[in-house]
Amino acid sequence: MTGTIARRLASIVPVMCIVAICVFLLLHFAPGDPAAIMAGDNATPANIAAIRAKLGLDQPVWLQFLVWVHNLLRGDLGTSLFWGEGVMTLIGQRAEPTISLALTTITFAVVVAVTLGVVAAAKVGSLLDRAVMGFAVMGFSVPVFVVGYLLIFVFAIILKWLPVQGYTPIAEGVLPWLRNLILPSFALGMAYVALIARITRATMLDVLAEDYMRTAKAKGVATRPMLLKHALKNAAVPIVTVIGNGVALLIGGVVITETVFNIPGVGRLVVDAIARRDYPIIQGVIMVFSGVYVLVNLLVDLSYTLFDPRVRG
Amino acid sequence: MTRLGEFCRRNPTIVIGAMALMAVAALAIAAPWIAGDPMALAPIDRLQPPSAAHWLGTDFLGRDIYDRVVYGARISLIVGLSVAVCSIVIGLTIGLAAGYWRGVDTLVMRIMDGLMAIPAILLAIAMVSLNRASVWIVIVAITIPEVPRIVRLVRSVVLSVRTLPYIEAAVSGGSPGVKIVVRHILPATINPLIVQGTYITASAILTEAALSFLGAGVPPEIPTWGNMIAQSRLFIARAPWTIFAPGATLALVILSVNLLGDGLRDFLDVRLARRMV
Amino acid sequence: MNATRRSMLRGSLAGLGLAAAPGILHAQPRPSERRTVRAVLQDDLPNYDPIWTTANIVAYHGAMVYDTLFGLDAKFQIRPQMVTAWDVSADKLTYTFELRDGLRFSDNTPVTSADVVPSIRRWMVRSGPGQILAPRVRDISPKDDKTFVVALSERFPLLLDLFATTTTPVLFIMRKREAETDPMQKIDQVVGSGPFTLNQDETRVGSRYVYDRNPTYVPRDEPASGMTGGKLVKLDRTIFVNMPDAQTAVAALEAGEIDFYEIPPADLLDQLQDNPDIIVENLSELGWVGYIALNWLYPPFDNIKCRQALLHVMNQADMLRPTFVSPKWYRTCPSYFTCGSAMDNDANTDWFRSGPDIPLAKQLLKEGGYDGRPIVMLQATNILYMSNAATVLAQEMRNAGMNVDLQPMDWANVVQRRASQNPPDKGGWNLFFTSCGGLGNSDPFMLAQMASIGRKGWFGWPDDARNEDLRAKWMMAETLAERKTLAVEIQENAWNVVPHISFGQWIQPGAHRRNVTGWLHVPGVVVFWNLEKA
Repeated sequence: MTGTIARRLASIVPVMCIVAICVFLLLHFAPGDPAAIMAGDNATPANIAAIRAKLGLDQPVWLQFLVWVHNLLRGDLGTSLFWGEGVMTLIGQRAEPTISLALTTITFAVVVAVTLGVVAAAKVGSLLDRAVMGFAVMGFSVPVFVVGYLLIFVFAIILKWLPVQGYTPIAEGVLPWLRNLILPSFALGMAYVALIARITRATMLDVLAEDYMRTAKAKGVATRPMLLKHALKNAAVPIVTVIGNGVALLIGGVVITETVFNIPGVGRLVVDAIARRDYPIIQGVIMVFSGVYVLVNLLVDLSYTLFDPRVRG
Repeated sequence: MTRLGEFCRRNPTIVIGAMALMAVAALAIAAPWIAGDPMALAPIDRLQPPSAAHWLGTDFLGRDIYDRVVYGARISLIVGLSVAVCSIVIGLTIGLAAGYWRGVDTLVMRIMDGLMAIPAILLAIAMVSLNRASVWIVIVAITIPEVPRIVRLVRSVVLSVRTLPYIEAAVSGGSPGVKIVVRHILPATINPLIVQGTYITASAILTEAALSFLGAGVPPEIPTWGNMIAQSRLFIARAPWTIFAPGATLALVILSVNLLGDGLRDFLDVRLARRMV
Repeated sequence: MNATRRSMLRGSLAGLGLAAAPGILHAQPRPSERRTVRAVLQDDLPNYDPIWTTANIVAYHGAMVYDTLFGLDAKFQIRPQMVTAWDVSADKLTYTFELRDGLRFSDNTPVTSADVVPSIRRWMVRSGPGQILAPRVRDISPKDDKTFVVALSERFPLLLDLFATTTTPVLFIMRKREAETDPMQKIDQVVGSGPFTLNQDETRVGSRYVYDRNPTYVPRDEPASGMTGGKLVKLDRTIFVNMPDAQTAVAALEAGEIDFYEIPPADLLDQLQDNPDIIVENLSELGWVGYIALNWLYPPFDNIKCRQALLHVMNQADMLRPTFVSPKWYRTCPSYFTCGSAMDNDANTDWFRSGPDIPLAKQLLKEGGYDGRPIVMLQATNILYMSNAATVLAQEMRNAGMNVDLQPMDWANVVQRRASQNPPDKGGWNLFFTSCGGLGNSDPFMLAQMASIGRKGWFGWPDDARNEDLRAKWMMAETLAERKTLAVEIQENAWNVVPHISFGQWIQPGAHRRNVTGWLHVPGVVVFWNLEKA
């Protein structure tokens, strides 16, 4: 098993190389001049050219790539063209809100979706089943920002139960931290509820149809503990797979949610950087996000050994 | 007739989904006859509520919302279907090659893993922002992140099919690889790809809305439901009709496509349901 | 680098709930909400050097932490700020300035002429009008700690105007150390002598910028007025919050989570006005002027008749209404200069009075030899007024038979494309949209956009000797009456040769909570002293 882990870890390297090359090419072969944006509208063209030279942006692309990779391998993601702060520092400052949002969203989505999936599977074919699945799919059909605005309108403006926007660090208290995350998690989580509920229901149905379950039921053993113990354990593998895949979608959704709810996270950081052509930030954040995705999937793969002993060999 | 009736009774989701989609597609095709000019603007008439002159009201530039919703059906469906078709065609080719000719497999899968690791929306925003906005660049930007998933799907089908006896027989019989792939393996991929195609269509239409929200969507002149909603988001309270019409049609289409996909999946292969997500 | 790794690790651990107990991470006590103002401004701060960049938002930062030699008061009159007295020689070539008492930088060093002189020099390199001033300066040097002299080789009546204007880059006085930084590079420390200090510990770039009251600042003993007078800070802390989503910002203002929203979308202004807790107030009477840049280098706008045709096609109200909604917030303006300013006049404005005239436009296009080739119009999709103006004008031009190739892209792309002097079909352009501050546009001199010096000038590269001649005369004029006469001649000429086109004017009122009062009206900058919170 350590062999498997070692091999999997080693395979991360070529993957990240591909990511690095793709990202760098994407940015540097496209138009956009950070120097002109930074200098502002009243600047003269001569001044802009001088600034560009000072920033090293007029050097050949392959040279800039080598410099970037060299720094990357030393753990230095570069410095923001705009603020001059290290990309690592910026990501570090913004990591907490994004991670908090991701965790609360996943927790919310898994809890709600698994419940819905189990309920729907238990009462398969009934009106409840169809209603639950219909509700789940609805969540997937409306854009996240529309859901977000509606939630703000109802819960923050009209009912005044929750704040409109912003983020409170957990160090200032768990309750305020949660209060700021409830609406965003809900808005973002709706789409994943649909995905996870669907797969839960399908897997549960498969398991329920298994011979040993039917035997148990015929014997009169209570179905609920059976459902929860055996069925969920079997359903764990595909559910965890979906969560792993969902991380990529989550990262995408985080970008929109952070904009609507004004959460100062990494998603907002990179969207603003794209508008400004702040290349080091864009490159750095995409590398970090990709790295996270790859690691999460690695963990997911490794977790199969926990859930399914057959994989362990 | 009775066989069709039987089919409809057993698979209501396919029927409902398909009919809704066909209705929307019909609307889109008939656009030039049933709607006026979606670009005609009249700033003096901006944000008018629905009336006899403007059935669904006007937007912030005074453009007729009904006209734009109908033409929006065209562009939204074109975006959704193009992304699905392109990603499937490209993914199919790569997946077949990777699954059958093991030599290219490792390299291809590494590249696909790399592509999958990059957050799709960031890739899309970057591609659109860094170039001129156009429908094509949006299609390309949404297609690229979808390809790796198709490749994986196709590859897994190929891997499970190629060990079957009749394939081995064809190989030892001396049939050229390409012929085997196209004649024997390709058909096995059709079913899962059709189902996945419906999901991709739905997801592409929503992604286009998200890109419009972040300012990286199709050119603002061109109507899509996604960018109509995004451009009118300031008016949720003041002029809700600007969002309601495109929003409702968008939700309806996504719902229908999802229903269709679910129904097709259940119909085509029950076991597939578990492999695909 | 190790510190950054640690901060990243710390951020992650905190996110996983493994952080230390609450309270330990706060090094300093936080002022109460009663004594804090939270403001959402027009943009995020791209950097901290208001000389190096001309982006307006950085001037807001500058006004917080730095001070200026002179400033404009509420009536646009020049008043001294850091200067207490000054003297002009009889031949008007030598200006002697004396700094007032009590000026200190936030590191507790006194402000002396040794700081002022390099600050002026650095600013001259980066400022458009400063570059025009520079060849006329014989010498700038300190006479003693509190006095410095500007010696000119020829008269320059606008010297004090340059020192006082809020058109960027604004002449903020920095320490000698920062002022000696290469003008093409940014300063590396923020230390000023202004009414606030930047609290670097609490600031998170891209998210929030925290300014604390500067206890060593000694305000002038006058009431505050515009950028001048006593800059008395009555609260403890001001925070610039970066909140790009307009809907969220409005909701936050209504919920009291922020105190000030600089530019609410015009469509939401009525909703805000109806809210009893919110006041909508315009802080900049001169507002902004819409600017259409025309590329003089390539057809069709290399021809004077084709440019004139545009004047007869454009409908200013239609271009402004989709963004600015009501005549309360926008106005049409036929003048080459900001309507409502001193140089405003109505010379040669018949094209405006008679309204759009498509047949005449078509006639002019024919005379100008327009051959139907595509006219490349750059449309900035992520800036609403630019995007809407482009959409509307493209339609209007098409109605007059022009073949418009509308190219949507984000503003960053526009900024890059507009610099190209290539033909439009090879990466160039024919028109793009932007705006100028109402103050800057109210004279022919301050803005680089008003020059017509050909290829060395601002984008569009208009080339007109008569305009330049008149501008030079305006620059040397001594009296307001002279300047007004020249302005009439400049406009007469401008609407004949059409170096660029204005598409009207707008104001963008801000909205603030009712309990925060004392907002000063300053053109082009929002300032945060003088505020009180009930």
